[in-house]
Amino acid sequence: MEAPTLMEKRRAVITGIGVISPIGNDYDTFCRSLETGVTGIDVIRSFDASCFPTRIAAEVKEFDPLKFVAKKKSLKLMGKNIQFAIAAAKLAVDHSGIRLDTMDPTSVGVIMGASIVNSNLFELAEAIRHSVDENGVFSLKKFGSEGKNHIFPLSLLRHLPNMVSCHISIAHNCQGINNTITTACAAGVQAMGEAFRCISRGDAEAILCGASDSRIDPLGMISYSLLGAVSTRNDDPKHASRPFDAKRDGFVVGEGSIVFVLENLAHARKRGATIYAEIVGYGSAGDSFRVTDPHKEGRGSIQSMRAALRDARLATTDIDYVAAHGTSTDLNDKMETRALKEVFGEGAAKIPASSIKSAIGHLGAACGAASAAAATMAVHRGILPPTLNYEFPDPDCDLDYVPNVARKADVHTALVNSFGFGGQNASLVVRRYTEQ
Amino acid sequence: MRRVVITGMGVVSPVGNSTQATWQALLECRSGLGPITYFDASTFPTRIAGESKGFDFWEFWGKRRHPYQLPKHLSQTSKLAIHSACEAWDHSGLSSAKLDPERVGIYLGVGKGEGLGDLEFLGSFLPSCVKEDGQLDLTKFVGESLRRTDPTSEIEVEPGRVMVHLCEIFNARGPASTCLTACAAGAQAIGEALRMIREGEADVILTGGSHSMITPQSIMGFCLLGALSTDNDRPLQASRPFDKTRNGFVLSEGSALVIIEELEHAKRRGAEIYAEVAGYGCTSDSFRVTDPHPEGIGQALAMRRALDDARVELEAVDYINAHGTSTADNDETETIAIKRVFGDRAYKIPVSSTKSMTGHLIAAAGSLETIVCALSIRHGIVPPTINYQESDPVCDLDYVPNRPREVPVRVALTNSFGFGGQNTSLVVRAL
Repeated sequence: MEAPTLMEKRRAVITGIGVISPIGNDYDTFCRSLETGVTGIDVIRSFDASCFPTRIAAEVKEFDPLKFVAKKKSLKLMGKNIQFAIAAAKLAVDHSGIRLDTMDPTSVGVIMGASIVNSNLFELAEAIRHSVDENGVFSLKKFGSEGKNHIFPLSLLRHLPNMVSCHISIAHNCQGINNTITTACAAGVQAMGEAFRCISRGDAEAILCGASDSRIDPLGMISYSLLGAVSTRNDDPKHASRPFDAKRDGFVVGEGSIVFVLENLAHARKRGATIYAEIVGYGSAGDSFRVTDPHKEGRGSIQSMRAALRDARLATTDIDYVAAHGTSTDLNDKMETRALKEVFGEGAAKIPASSIKSAIGHLGAACGAASAAAATMAVHRGILPPTLNYEFPDPDCDLDYVPNVARKADVHTALVNSFGFGGQNASLVVRRYTEQ
Repeated sequence: MRRVVITGMGVVSPVGNSTQATWQALLECRSGLGPITYFDASTFPTRIAGESKGFDFWEFWGKRRHPYQLPKHLSQTSKLAIHSACEAWDHSGLSSAKLDPERVGIYLGVGKGEGLGDLEFLGSFLPSCVKEDGQLDLTKFVGESLRRTDPTSEIEVEPGRVMVHLCEIFNARGPASTCLTACAAGAQAIGEALRMIREGEADVILTGGSHSMITPQSIMGFCLLGALSTDNDRPLQASRPFDKTRNGFVLSEGSALVIIEELEHAKRRGAEIYAEVAGYGCTSDSFRVTDPHPEGIGQALAMRRALDDARVELEAVDYINAHGTSTADNDETETIAIKRVFGDRAYKIPVSSTKSMTGHLIAAAGSLETIVCALSIRHGIVPPTINYQESDPVCDLDYVPNRPREVPVRVALTNSFGFGGQNTSLVVRAL
């Protein structure tokens, strides 16, 4: 591959989308659910959460991993996050019609956002139970001699975040660039942003990019509760995620994977691919999250939005829709609203900004990839997904959040925001594909 | 094309808590490996590791009097990273430079922090939550977990937190990212940062890796994979890359960060330039998550891509800092891959593995070895592969056995290959 000069950057287009989500296990179903206001949030069913402070989540439903792996045996090495990713990657490849087997495998890469993978509580509990000494106290000596026998020998491999990308690369023989971004909620957008850069500069012809996350398990739910940011509206799960609404009380944990086939435009055109959208800008920034220091809130978000717009060489007036981070926590939604006003000025009130977390919950590392799928729907199908459960206006959140009902709109360009826990921020600009 | 140079380096490693101390140790052939002291590993199959020594983070941080308030539960990975970042920053002279904060970025390859899911922490209270029938009393367990865990510590488990702290400490307001590609992460971070500066996204990037996995769970995890050396009685000799009797790697902790900078930017401010980061190559084996491809195809391609990216001819390479982990598979495959790229010339290039002394710093390994390449170029001397006693017919290159060698180095190549078939190579060049 000849590296292009700076003057002739190649264009990166989305030609396939694979979705495993709480509201549908393919892109079409996902879009239809968003359009019709389906919510994927319910009481937790994958384990008994009755004694947890938060007993609701947005779980993936009716998912059969066996449909997506060549060998059943390989599932032993895959936690749910990897299984979802393998499935979403296959769906994306099928959706795009790309024939990876006819391409130079070293020109195809994988860049995924991933999170840390929680220990399996029940496996660890079993190991710990066999590691107590005569006084009933946990002993590392005993763990080293006995408890260890209760740990799956290859368990470490389930817990390395890069295994998401590695399994995808093995499944599709992608021998090119391979990376795993681990910036919490910003990871999905960063993975897509970096894939966009790779295609632009000629490092790859096609990249499977996106993110996967699944932390709806006992230790994951306790961790989230400790962060103090999850909704406890346990008796009313369908209305628990209410971004920008005055009565919001935290986010709802979701899970899933979204994978895109991002392709060099020339390659996509040559094979006559359907082009769903083009990625034209990306920006990122870190800042520190301090509840005690409201002046600094939003600085990183503002920077990442501005960097993405600058990268796309677009003005704020070019943006027709914002796929907001909108977590449904008090702080995020206020801060994001303020940041949008800072970036868009008076124009902010006129730009629809909705949060699909109202329907699918917060997919952690994968949330930004899900928002990018929603933004793709907006530019390709002309439909804005709504912010569900918007009932009570909050004076601090006074933008057009596309309340409750999907809206038809002529969206040319959309901005996707992902602002992570602890100050990791990224934004992406997605545009409807036109030849010029 | 914008060129990218190293203007600052910082290291915390098992052989020293600064770049200078680490380099000195490598030239003196000192191993930093020893018995595990962080926890009672007496019944573990592997009881040795490369711990950092005399590393008192809070004393160091107190002395700096930095206004940024770090959380009190900081992960070991963060501590190591912040320490080496401060060294690199000071070393580069950036503290007195006039910088545009939005042109300063961060790209790290780092591991996660310690938290609720850690074996020892769970072990401290989980047994009291087990019912008579051996089942876990989940209600009690949930209550105890919430009561015993400090909420401010749980967020520090996120690998991205290291980056956020560094953004604040150095007022870096440009692009910020974190990757975790196992043993390739540190080198991959530098490679990606190189791309960002080249393409004009930033002028200065703090980059490299930091990692600490010396915990009961991780050590046992690697033991169960059969990846670690079990030479518990002779830790100093346990890591012996390319030696016929090698039997696994030794897990270490540490951090190695560099300041990389656009050449003209560095020149304008009169910075001292150590070397150029000239090329980056990244591939995936797409073979198995457990083993490298036996023919080293992906590894060879990573090397070739890095050389092409740097526009360097094969003949120009003076030194290879190998991944050389001291596992049977890696060292054989890497040797095959080097021969695949360099042909007969492979035998004429000094190839050494500093992991023989430092052990394997996982996400920090590749960035430490990038620094080793920069210093080899600067000082005209390459560090050895120590503990090389018995030659292995399948590893037949010049591994610079047992003592450093004075040799002019203008172009060095460093390899980092990770679990899952992650391959990253970097080319470091004299300016």
